Amino acid sequence: MKKMATMLAAVAMFGLAGKAMAAAPADTLAEVKKKGVLVAGVKDSLPPFGYIDEKSRQIVGYDIDFVNAIARKLGVKVELKPVTSASRMPQLQEGHIDIIAATMTKNPERAKQIDFSHTYFFTGQKFIARKGTVKKVSDLEGKKIGTAKGSTSEQNVRRAIVTANVISFDDYPQAFLALQQGKVQAITTDEAILAGILAKAPNKSQFEIPAVQISDEPYGLGMRKGDKNFVDFVNRTLLEMEKSGETKKIFNKWFGPSTQFHLKRNFALTAD
Amino acid sequence: MLSYQFDWSIITSGKYFEWLVSGLVLTLQISTVGIIFSFIIGLLIAVMRMSYFRPVRWFAHAYLEFFRNTPLLVQIFFWYFGSYKLLPTVANDWLNNNNFEFAAAVIALTIYTSAFIAEDIRSGVLSIPKEQLEAARSAGFSYLAAMQYIILPQAVRITVPPLVNQFLNLAKNSSLAMTIGVAELTYQARQVESYSFKGFEAFTAATLVYLVLSIIITALVHQYNVRILNPHRA
Repeated sequence: MKKMATMLAAVAMFGLAGKAMAAAPADTLAEVKKKGVLVAGVKDSLPPFGYIDEKSRQIVGYDIDFVNAIARKLGVKVELKPVTSASRMPQLQEGHIDIIAATMTKNPERAKQIDFSHTYFFTGQKFIARKGTVKKVSDLEGKKIGTAKGSTSEQNVRRAIVTANVISFDDYPQAFLALQQGKVQAITTDEAILAGILAKAPNKSQFEIPAVQISDEPYGLGMRKGDKNFVDFVNRTLLEMEKSGETKKIFNKWFGPSTQFHLKRNFALTAD
Repeated sequence: MLSYQFDWSIITSGKYFEWLVSGLVLTLQISTVGIIFSFIIGLLIAVMRMSYFRPVRWFAHAYLEFFRNTPLLVQIFFWYFGSYKLLPTVANDWLNNNNFEFAAAVIALTIYTSAFIAEDIRSGVLSIPKEQLEAARSAGFSYLAAMQYIILPQAVRITVPPLVNQFLNLAKNSSLAMTIGVAELTYQARQVESYSFKGFEAFTAATLVYLVLSIIITALVHQYNVRILNPHRA
């Protein structure tokens, strides 16, 4: 009986801790202006979206340039907080960050929990595998496939290849190491991320990104549900950036011909 | 204030419930195998540590210091990723085709915990008056026989409370296996969170299950101690 009471006390404490955490502002736009700083959740090990620049030791990347542009329009400073695919939504909902700019795919389930901006990047989910081993999706049936926890990539691949044994790591560099060691036969996520991983890999000539795509991945900036003023402001800013050509410039800076990716911008930023 | 909507029904039935249960099964498997082998290896290392033969003693000492003083997470990565460079290709291929994630996690947990168990058992042995060993030896027992029949049965009884600690640690540390993709309880709780965004519910359920699991382990060892090892004290 005594043990039971102790157990209940422990559970009660757990519940209280949960309640004390929720203190997210209702109007982020006003709040950010008052604070003078925009706190953004970004990736810090995912070139070229968000990674630590070797020279400046700062987080830079495609996502970060969008955050900077929004903050400039607001006239506030930027604070970057590294997040993971699994932690970014709770962090936003609990008010630790004001906006998510972390390669986040827009999907209906997530849209029930948070609001998304217009699509600021568009890609599709593909694979990295050893050269010549994967020609079509069915080549991966029954194989081990690595990805990152909490990502849409994980959910898509389970849906697309039901027989695959999906192994989720904490991050993509680990998943790629597992691929190099033959622990998984392929790793999967959005093409642009894969291109970034492959470009940095020491023995990249042994690997390739086969022309096998299992889903469309539109990225959006994430904001708290019902935070209408802020969402409208961000969307307005994005459309202005598209009009002035700034979005195209940012794309070419990170993915264009002068980079190792040589990607073509095959989408336009529109109100969707 | 609180905009979070609690929904306990999603984890008490259906798909997410099945995930959590499959996670629990894996946690139980890791813990059971880990507890059995870490106890056996711990016992072995403790005896080696007190051996009269120096190289054996040194080996046991090195083993203890190495595995006690490095983080468990690093050891898990070592067995999973680091072993690749040390093993021949044939062995790597075989391991990669045979659920190496589970094996690497169990090996890391077992070896890590065995180092602590060995020290606990050694302190139990040291609490037995050394005259007993001398008496046993002069009565014609070999060192190993004296250990087996006279010293260890007493030492292990004394060591039961600290052993429970190590078993509990092992059961809870098994959550680190998720870092190499072993779908145990914590992994599944996170999985439920990322599919349903119901993190509070999933982790509360996981917390309760760990709590109950720990209480069961404690109760079992306690019963064993009272009923079988020390019936006269009960």
